[in-house]
Amino acid sequence: MVDDRDSIPAADARHLEGCAECQARQGAASDDARAITSLLAVPEPKINLAAALDRVRSAPEAKPVFGFRLPLVRPLSRPAMLGFAAALAAIALFATVIANDYLFNYSPNSVTAVPVTVADMQSLSQLSAYGSVTWTTKPQLQLVASAAEAQSLTGLKPPVVSNLPAGVSTNVTYAAMTQAIAVFTFDAAQAAASVSADGKSLPALPAGMDGAKLTVTVGPAVGEVFGNLNLNAAPGSSSSSGIPAADLPQLVLIESNAPSVTSTQVTTKQLEDYLLSISGLSPELTKAIKAIGNPSSTLPIPIPIQYATSTTVSINGNPGVALGDNTGLGSGVIWVQHGELYAIAGTVKQSDVLNIADNLH
Amino acid sequence: MGPKPPPELGSVAVSSGAPVLNLVTGRMSTARSDDQAFEDLFSTEYRRVVGIANRVLADPHEAEDVAQEVFIDFHRLHSASAQYAPAWLHRAAAHTALNRLRGAKRRQRRELAQAAEEGEHSIDPQQQVELDEDRVRVRKALARLAPKPAAVLVLRASGLSYSEVAQALGVGIGQVGTLLRRAETSLRKEVTSGTSN
Repeated sequence: MVDDRDSIPAADARHLEGCAECQARQGAASDDARAITSLLAVPEPKINLAAALDRVRSAPEAKPVFGFRLPLVRPLSRPAMLGFAAALAAIALFATVIANDYLFNYSPNSVTAVPVTVADMQSLSQLSAYGSVTWTTKPQLQLVASAAEAQSLTGLKPPVVSNLPAGVSTNVTYAAMTQAIAVFTFDAAQAAASVSADGKSLPALPAGMDGAKLTVTVGPAVGEVFGNLNLNAAPGSSSSSGIPAADLPQLVLIESNAPSVTSTQVTTKQLEDYLLSISGLSPELTKAIKAIGNPSSTLPIPIPIQYATSTTVSINGNPGVALGDNTGLGSGVIWVQHGELYAIAGTVKQSDVLNIADNLH
Repeated sequence: MGPKPPPELGSVAVSSGAPVLNLVTGRMSTARSDDQAFEDLFSTEYRRVVGIANRVLADPHEAEDVAQEVFIDFHRLHSASAQYAPAWLHRAAAHTALNRLRGAKRRQRRELAQAAEEGEHSIDPQQQVELDEDRVRVRKALARLAPKPAAVLVLRASGLSYSEVAQALGVGIGQVGTLLRRAETSLRKEVTSGTSN
């Protein structure tokens, strides 16, 4: 019995008109509701709407590292995701640092894992003080209704998963990301100002690097998200603000044109020396950077070692990096095939992820 | 691929013209000016969001803090044109305020604030004291309820229709009546047990 007459179905409303017993119950429910409303009653607050709007608008934007935030994951939602997001945000940075030769034109055809710690990420994030990122083409991720629509927007045909593991929803959402181009410009004045403002001991920008530009191109890309995607999840109780993370999908598959990087004025040696001169980098990371065999064609995948372990695998004859987190609750694999970068990750066993990767078509 | 179900709270709008997630700002946006849409949404919903939070906290200043936090969170992550916007805000207001209510220090500060709250000078001091005590007792009881019953009570008491409560909490409209009745019973028990202690 409800106290909101508008929500009573028509048939029940008709019954209510002629039933004294139900009228009595409905009346009692309404009385109860009124009593509770009375208990919770408070004076009407006085509100200055314009001033309130100004305050909301003047709130600072969330500023992820390099202005990039992982799609489908709320910032600061889960520590593991935060670490992973930070690591992924650094891919382009690593690519530029490790890419080969003077005025390189870098496009990977392979992948390798490099271990990073949260401390590494914090140290590397200082690099953003050396210049500024501008997006000549901003990345946009659009959720679309079908694989065909994703293909028409990106030119990439979403791969078909033929062997979805048991327990993974067949409900799939397609996403399309347009190509994005970001330019990082080294700025000696900004670096100096940042150092003096923060009191940090950043290594000085090498002569000749001021004004150098790194152009990173990513995408286009298509994504397939399996599970009951709840991107717009209303709040629950899992964070201090009462806003929970979005429900994570069970399985995500991404195909993207491999990222490419071009530069002006910057040599690989300069960048590598520069990176390695930053204090706070772990010995593991330093060693891994130096050990990459063919930097001109290898995409380094930063692995947050607190959260995930990695192994080298072969996907259809192509070297790949498989990830499994330390809890055993999730796994993923990333590889490059025919100039395309593929990634699959989900809350499934690593063997399932590898099986999907081997059988995509 | 089969037909998609109609969008509902917590689902993702799809197809052309659907929200676009800007990876730089992290915001969903559409072709329409998101800024204007946000202003419209703010004008329509801000008072209601403050009202929901105030219903929980009985402290207009802290209620405005909650409303600000909720709108800022929403603005950073969602398109103001999204159909689910009001429901999201209502639920966020209820849960955020309830979370604050459960914080012991906040509660103490709020009780002090209540004692000094202006706006009810028309009633005599004895009535004011009793009113304050009632409010404190009810809020303590509310803080002891499980999140869902607490939210359903607060949203309904804030004037939301059954349909709006259902959307905010992501439940069927047919469940709202039952949830409310149970929540009312639970709150009464908590108020009574608080009084007898």
